[in-house]
Amino acid sequence: MLKPEEMTRAVVVGSIESLDTTIECLYELGILHLIDFTDQDEEFSIGQPLPKASDTSQKLLKLRAMMRSLEIEEHKPIHPMHVHDIRSRMDQALVTLDLNTSSKADSRQKIQALVREKEGEIRALEPIIPFAIAVELYDGYDNLSSFVGTCRTDPGAALKGKVSECEVFVDSRKSDVVIAAFVRNEDRTEAMKILAEHAFQELKLPKVKGDPDEIVVQLRKQIKELDADLARIEADLDAIRKQFADFIISSEEHLSIEILKAETPLRVATSANSFVIDGWVPTSRVEEITTALDTMCCGLAFIETVSPEKHEEPPVKLKNPKPVKPFEFFINLVSTPKYEEIDPTLVLFITFPLFFGFMIGDLGFGLGLMALGAIMRWKMKSSPDLYKLGTIVLAGGLLASVFGVFLFAEAFGVPFHPPAEAHDEASWEVVANIPIHPILDKMHDTQEMLGISLFVGWIHLTLGLVFGFYNHYHHNRKHAFGKIAWAVILFGLFEEIMVIAGNATETSTFVNATIYGFMPDSSMSLIGVDISIPAVVLILLGVIALPFTEGPLALTEVIGLFTNLVSYARLAALAVGKGAMALAFNTILFPLIFDSGNIGVAILGALALFVTQMFFVFFLGALSAGIQAIRLNYVEFFLKFFEGGGTDFQPLSYERKHSVATK
Amino acid sequence: MALDPGTAVGAGLALIGAGIAIGVAGLGTGIAQAQIGAAAVGATAEDPKMFGKGMILMVLPETIVILGFVVAFLLLGKT
Repeated sequence: MLKPEEMTRAVVVGSIESLDTTIECLYELGILHLIDFTDQDEEFSIGQPLPKASDTSQKLLKLRAMMRSLEIEEHKPIHPMHVHDIRSRMDQALVTLDLNTSSKADSRQKIQALVREKEGEIRALEPIIPFAIAVELYDGYDNLSSFVGTCRTDPGAALKGKVSECEVFVDSRKSDVVIAAFVRNEDRTEAMKILAEHAFQELKLPKVKGDPDEIVVQLRKQIKELDADLARIEADLDAIRKQFADFIISSEEHLSIEILKAETPLRVATSANSFVIDGWVPTSRVEEITTALDTMCCGLAFIETVSPEKHEEPPVKLKNPKPVKPFEFFINLVSTPKYEEIDPTLVLFITFPLFFGFMIGDLGFGLGLMALGAIMRWKMKSSPDLYKLGTIVLAGGLLASVFGVFLFAEAFGVPFHPPAEAHDEASWEVVANIPIHPILDKMHDTQEMLGISLFVGWIHLTLGLVFGFYNHYHHNRKHAFGKIAWAVILFGLFEEIMVIAGNATETSTFVNATIYGFMPDSSMSLIGVDISIPAVVLILLGVIALPFTEGPLALTEVIGLFTNLVSYARLAALAVGKGAMALAFNTILFPLIFDSGNIGVAILGALALFVTQMFFVFFLGALSAGIQAIRLNYVEFFLKFFEGGGTDFQPLSYERKHSVATK
Repeated sequence: MALDPGTAVGAGLALIGAGIAIGVAGLGTGIAQAQIGAAAVGATAEDPKMFGKGMILMVLPETIVILGFVVAFLLLGKT
C-alpha cells in the first residue's frame, strides 16, 4: 500500500549449456524483469536464439497460414491439448494439414475470384438488357464514339438538341437513368460535356459477344455451378476444421510460447562459455528463484543480488490489497508511478466512491449502479479493464446508496419525506413511512453542501501536498519545503473562506470552532467582507516562502490553488444539479401518473418518467459524476505530487490459455 | 411576496446576474473544452496511453464554470 513492491537488482549467471534450462526456469517462475543487454564488448555479446527457434518459427508460420485459410482465428478450443500430445502429433499433423488444406484453400480462393468477376460482368450487363443490342456492337467503330453508363438525370433531349447526329438509348425505369449514346468522333467533346452535366458514370462492358440477356443467363448458370463447387470445398474444409481446430489453436499458442523462450537469448549477454541475465526481482521472492535455479540447473546457474547503480530505476509493480486493486485501473490510465513515488491507489479507493456517492446520493440510482457493476463483473471476466471498472461502479453505487439512505433520504429523486420547506412535494410517504429523515436536503441545503465540499477539498488537497512533500524529500528538499508553503497558503485560504461563511453553515461553524479554535480570533471587516487576520498572515507567510522554494514563477499559481479548492464545489453542484433534474422530471410527470384518472395516460406517464429518469439522471448523471470524481483526483490531487513515468514490471512469463502443460 | 419595489428590482437584477454568471461561464468552458477535447481525442486515437493526460487537459477549463456556479450561488444569497 502506498509504495510499490520492493525490488532487488539481481544477476543470473551460469554456464552456457544451462542457458535454456535457466530460461525455462525463469519463465515458469515469472518473477524476473529482464534488463535488455545492449553494450557489447570483446568478452560478452548478445546471445544467439536457441537452436529450436528457426524450426519452431517455420512451423508456427505454417500453422498461422492454416488458421487463416480455415478461418479459426477466433476459435476457442473445447479441449485444450496437452503439450506432450502437441509435440508428438505436430509433424504428422502439419503434413496432413498441408496436403489437405493448402490446395483446397487455393481453389477456394480462385473460385471466389471467378465468382466475383462474373458477378461484376452481370452487374455491367444488366442495365443494358432493355436496349436489346448485342454487346459487341457498343464498341469498336472507326468514326463513332459510344458512351454507355448511368446518369442522374435524362440527358437524351440535351444530346439530341446540341449534337447534330446522334443515336441515344435511354432507360429511366430505375432511380439512375441508363443511357447508351453514339455520336460522331468530332462531337465527342461536346457530348462528354453534356453527359458530365448529368453526372454520367461509365459502365465498363465486358469483352463478350451476343445478346446481353442471354449472356447474363449463361453467367448466372456458371456462378451456380461454381457455388456448388465452392460448397463442396467448404464442406471439406469444414471437416478439416472440426478435426484440427483444437490442435491448431493449442499448438499455435504452444509454439508462440516456445519461440518467446527460444528468442530470449537475444536479450542476454553471452560469452563463449557463460551467460549473464540482468534483471530485477521482487525482494520477497529472491529466495524462490535461488532454490528453483538450484534444483533445475544442478548448480550450473545461480542468482546473485547486486546493489543497483544510481541511475537505475527499478520497475514498478503496484502492491495493493485485493479490494483496492481494481482502482489501479485509474493509475494506469495516467501513468505508472515512479519507484520512489507514493502509489495513490489507496486514496483513490477511498475518495472515488465517496465523491461519486455524494454526487449521486440516491438509493434508487445507487442500487441501479450496483446492479450495473455486478453485471459488468459477472459478464466481463474476459476483459480485465471492464471487470475492474465493474468493481469501481459497484463500489460507487454502494456509497451512493448509503448516502442516499442516511444523508439525503431519497430514492429515484423522490425524498422519503417531503421537506419542511415544501409540504406538498411528492414523497415516498405515499408508499411507506420510512423512519429515516434526511440530514441534508439537496434542494434546500445547498450552502451546507458547498461547505462540506470545500472541507473535503481542503483535506484532499492537503493530503496531496503531504504526498508531494514525501516524494520530493529525498532528492529535492527545497521543493519538499515548497509543498509545506503551499499547504500553509491552502490552510489560510480555507480559513478565510470559512470565516466569510461564518455561522451560515454547520460545516463552517464546526471548522471555526475546532480547527481554528486555537488560532487568535481577530478579524476585521473590509468593504463588508470579514477578513481573518491569522488567515491573511498564513497566506502571506506561504507566499513569501514560495519564491525561495518553488521559484518566483510559483507565485502565479497561488490563484490556481484557490481555484483548486473552489473546484471541489462541483461535488455540491453535481449533487444539486442531479437532484434538480430528477425533481423537474418528477414534477412534470407525477401529476400525469397520479392525477390524470386515465389508466392509459398514467401508464404512458410512468413510462416517460422511467425513460427520462434512466437516460438523463441515471446514465448522464452517473457518467458525469464518475468523470468529475476522477477529475478531482487527477487534476486537483495528482498534480500536487504525482509525476509518473515509471517502468511497468514485466517479468519473463507467458500466458497459457489454450494448451495444457504440467510442470 | 410583498416586496417593496426597490428590493424587488434589486433581487431581480441579482437573479439575472446569477443567470449570466453561470451561463456565460458555461459558454466559456464549452468553447475551451471543444478545442482541447478534439485535440485530446486525436491524441488518444494515435496512442491510447494518452487518454489519462488528454482527460486531465480536457477537464481543466471546467474550473471556469465552477467559478461561475459559485458566483451565481453567492448572488442568489443576496436576493
